[in-house]
Amino acid sequence: MENRMTDEQRDRRREKTQLIVRITAAVLGMVSAASFFLPYLTFIFRKQVYTVSALQLLTVRGFRVRGPQMEGIVTIPVLARASVVVGLALAVAGVVLILLKRAVPAGACFILSALTPLLVLISTGEIQSAVTQLNVVQMSVRYLTPFFLVLALGVFCAVLSLWTMGSERLAQSIFLVCACGSIGSVLIITIYVIVSGAPAIGKIGLLPFLFGTKWAAGSGQFGILPMILSSIAATVGAVLLGVPVGIFTAVFLSETAQPAVAKAVHPAVELLAGIPSVIYGFFGMLVVVPFIKRCGEIFHWNTQGDSLLAAILILAVMVLPTIVSVSETALRAVPDAYREASMALGATPVRTIFKVTLPAARSGVLSGVILGVGRAVGETMAVIMVAGNVANMPRLLGSVRFLTTGIALELSYSSGLHRQALFAIGLVLFVFIMIVDVLFTYISRKGVKMDAE
Amino acid sequence: MLNEKGGESLYAKRRRPTDTALKFLIYFAAAVTVTIVVGIILYILIEGIPHITWKFLSTSYSALDTSRQGILPMILNTLYIVILTLLISVPVGICSAIYLTQYARRGRLVRTIDFTTEVLSGIPSIIFGLFGYTVFCVLFRLQTSILAGSLTMAICILPTIIRTTEESLLSVPSSYKEGAMALGAGKLHVIGGIVLPCAMPGVLTGVILAVGRIVGESAALLFTSGLGFNMPNGGFAGAMTHIMESGRTLTLHLYTTAMDSTGPNTLNAAFATAAVLLIMVFLLNRLAGLLSKTLRKG
Repeated sequence: MENRMTDEQRDRRREKTQLIVRITAAVLGMVSAASFFLPYLTFIFRKQVYTVSALQLLTVRGFRVRGPQMEGIVTIPVLARASVVVGLALAVAGVVLILLKRAVPAGACFILSALTPLLVLISTGEIQSAVTQLNVVQMSVRYLTPFFLVLALGVFCAVLSLWTMGSERLAQSIFLVCACGSIGSVLIITIYVIVSGAPAIGKIGLLPFLFGTKWAAGSGQFGILPMILSSIAATVGAVLLGVPVGIFTAVFLSETAQPAVAKAVHPAVELLAGIPSVIYGFFGMLVVVPFIKRCGEIFHWNTQGDSLLAAILILAVMVLPTIVSVSETALRAVPDAYREASMALGATPVRTIFKVTLPAARSGVLSGVILGVGRAVGETMAVIMVAGNVANMPRLLGSVRFLTTGIALELSYSSGLHRQALFAIGLVLFVFIMIVDVLFTYISRKGVKMDAE
Repeated sequence: MLNEKGGESLYAKRRRPTDTALKFLIYFAAAVTVTIVVGIILYILIEGIPHITWKFLSTSYSALDTSRQGILPMILNTLYIVILTLLISVPVGICSAIYLTQYARRGRLVRTIDFTTEVLSGIPSIIFGLFGYTVFCVLFRLQTSILAGSLTMAICILPTIIRTTEESLLSVPSSYKEGAMALGAGKLHVIGGIVLPCAMPGVLTGVILAVGRIVGESAALLFTSGLGFNMPNGGFAGAMTHIMESGRTLTLHLYTTAMDSTGPNTLNAAFATAAVLLIMVFLLNRLAGLLSKTLRKG
């Protein structure tokens, strides 16, 4: 009885812990504000090295940068200065708020203050472009420990200040922040793809970009019609080959095969889904491409082997597992009563499959096909290894370049309008996928509705 | 006897040539699928396994010297990326799933998050690569580095983790929760002590599937983690500097060696790399299968 706490004692104890947590948060908040004054980032321009603290970013006019011919002062961008001011102010505000027992606003202040170093980093893009005008190609930025200190301390202080409201509330806010983070990442990707893709389309013009037939980055011609048509051709081809095989295999697995056989075949299909796309590409490069080349020699086709046909064959295999597994699930979901009714009317098993079971499962099968289309449109590494990658108009036995491979091939050495054009290809690809996605959602909703009826 | 015969003849009457043809097509399609699977796997394994030696697995690589074809750095890079990605993505994914299933009312927010995770899972990995390159490598000045690659992959696998965790959290019977609540446990305590442990096999299955995706990924990593092949130095400091360096995973190594293969030596190394990759993916698949089986049993 003696060592059991009374309510009063417990309250007092809780208050004591809260006080300790609050003071710790305040102290760490001050440390995080103080770390703005420590050396923070290192800027390296060719041979010149500047180590700056956040405060210096605020007070110094700029960097003196010496190029091969020119010399000049690169001013520090407004964004960098503003974010340092805001970051410092928020950290101090957080300390004051937590001492005033306002846990939620204090936490928000600490989090936002922790994010300001990222804004400083973003602003270095402006420095980069100013430096490029001085003919200094290389500029690099190195992080120093205080940079991470500001980041980590801010987050930690936010956690501490929310903790003063009890662990239940702390946990709930952490869960909420994570959930919002996952929405945020999609939103950021969507916005980013649109924002970075739009300028090139604006400069080149929508019609010349989409319907231009020549892609020559050197001479400033950016027409992606060949890539669009190749992507469509490869997808259609892969679907034409893959869908019948896929659906029939699904029928085999769910309807006709002995359970033991189905049990052996099913993992094989799953394995097919798990094989990395590079291995498909490797296989295609060493088996499919030489095979087409050999056929070309025998039948006097005009082909080098790496061709649209090779890409179609590889993609057909790659979409197979998606179609099989989705269709199989849909077929298994068809109630047995349908099959029995059909058989009772005298239909043969095969007729039952094609007249009753498959039509009943059609929305599921169709979503499998659409998922397969999505996979075929977005595939990059497997087709880059077999398609030859020349931006020609699609020809079954000729070398082609797809939307995806167009990006992958040139991103590393592109710059200026060329790079923007690659982002615009990304935007076009994104729109393609969105169309496929909307179709998929529409069809699967329709399927659900039909089932409900 | 008569009955049986009569039955047979009736059946024979109903048999149509199209039936036989369709039945043949069904078996043919299944045979084609199986042949493709077995063909690809056997081809890679038969050509690759003889070239997997201890030396191959435990030495470093040089792009210029064809006799130095070891893949140890690539294995380590893959490991680094897997670990870093999971460190970022698993906590965030599990927390999101907990919020979605245990706290959020089934309202607009949940539907939005569900929709966005679905959209995320449909985006081609090259777009993730493009995004990761411009945001993490250029905007945040990480250069092409293992860290940038891991951050990109973290976004890539987030939907897988959230989905599988959500599913397994929802499959925990609510009577467990209610029982714990009735005993006076707080919500957090119920989640940490009852719901999450019960859902663990499902969560782990999701994590393993995600590892499989990371190991097999190439397009999203090509521009973000780059093609470096330095050996990391030992110790914590070595690891820390290594994550800021560019490093290729096994898939990217296979891609580059296959594309620039100069002779039988490099081609054999590419085959061996492919076989190592395949075996890794198989093992991960098998592990995920076993886990989900225990989940179904429990």
